[in-house]
Amino acid sequence: MIRASSWSPYGRRVTPPGIPVVVYGTRWCAATQQVRRQLERLGVPYEYVDLDQHPEAVNQLRWWTGGSASHPTVYIGGEVLVEPNSRELNWALARSGLR
Amino acid sequence: MSHNAARDADREAYPRRLHELEQRFGSLFNQINDSPQKEAFSVLHGMMQELWRHVRHSSSPLSERGLDIADISELYRHAPKMESEARHSPLPPGTPAPVFALKDASGQVVRLGDYRGQPTVLVFYPLDWSPGCSQQLDLYQQELDEFERRHARILGISVDSLYSHGAWAAVRGIEFPLLADFHPKGEAARRYQVYRDEDGFSERALYVVDGDGIIRYSHVSPFLHHVPDVYELFAALDALPSKTSETARVAS
Repeated sequence: MIRASSWSPYGRRVTPPGIPVVVYGTRWCAATQQVRRQLERLGVPYEYVDLDQHPEAVNQLRWWTGGSASHPTVYIGGEVLVEPNSRELNWALARSGLR
Repeated sequence: MSHNAARDADREAYPRRLHELEQRFGSLFNQINDSPQKEAFSVLHGMMQELWRHVRHSSSPLSERGLDIADISELYRHAPKMESEARHSPLPPGTPAPVFALKDASGQVVRLGDYRGQPTVLVFYPLDWSPGCSQQLDLYQQELDEFERRHARILGISVDSLYSHGAWAAVRGIEFPLLADFHPKGEAARRYQVYRDEDGFSERALYVVDGDGIIRYSHVSPFLHHVPDVYELFAALDALPSKTSETARVAS
């Protein structure tokens, strides 16, 4: 798995999570920003992989998703969510016991 | 469209991506020789099916209902793309913010000066119902408390009519004002140097106007489908040497 440094907009490093949550996206994508902010508001630690800065992660996304590199793609403890809406994200977090 | 036709269209639209992937998966079956790798694909496919069963079990069956507001709010996902390059540069920071008087969805006239004394975020976006915009305003709705914490007001502006704004805000649950730059069309966007004459709508642009009516931050997205970085917007608001926001911060 591609690893980017764990990062929070408030300058503190997030704790390594028991259940990994990884957000693949771009800074100019509203849906990516919304997912990241939703996780931050819920206090769910996550890794953020910026696809503009880590183009090598695109192939991994294609393998997971059957060919598309849609963003955001969110990995939550075994589930790969392609462009989830906030309800789907909440469901997946609940299934993983993260909220 | 009759109710039944809408329901059929809904049934057809919902699992489309899954269906396409399933068809592709099926067509690949005969192209791979028997091997552990092929078995691995099959195992993975089985895992996906079990996951789907779990998801369906824990949610209501979508096939039992017709189109609802959630479906309408997701229409933008299949709307025609809007990805042109920007044609304009924004007014630079330090410029006095041009005045405007535009109606919100309830018909009330909103003037920039109404917000003297507190920072205002002006969000120019191309059109209601279009791809990209939906998510940008959803993002700001989700973050309303972050704007309030910074004592900032937020106003969306597009060339759509106030009736379109009203319907769109209702469907998306947007609570901050959306202003109709409708007649003369795009006049406010022109004053802020972000109107695209060729298209009849504005660039996707952000302005932060301080409590004295001076532009302190401006941004035009390089492409229409690029949404400005919200962390950068928060940083721009945090950088304002505004007395009111300081007071609000101390008070809280």
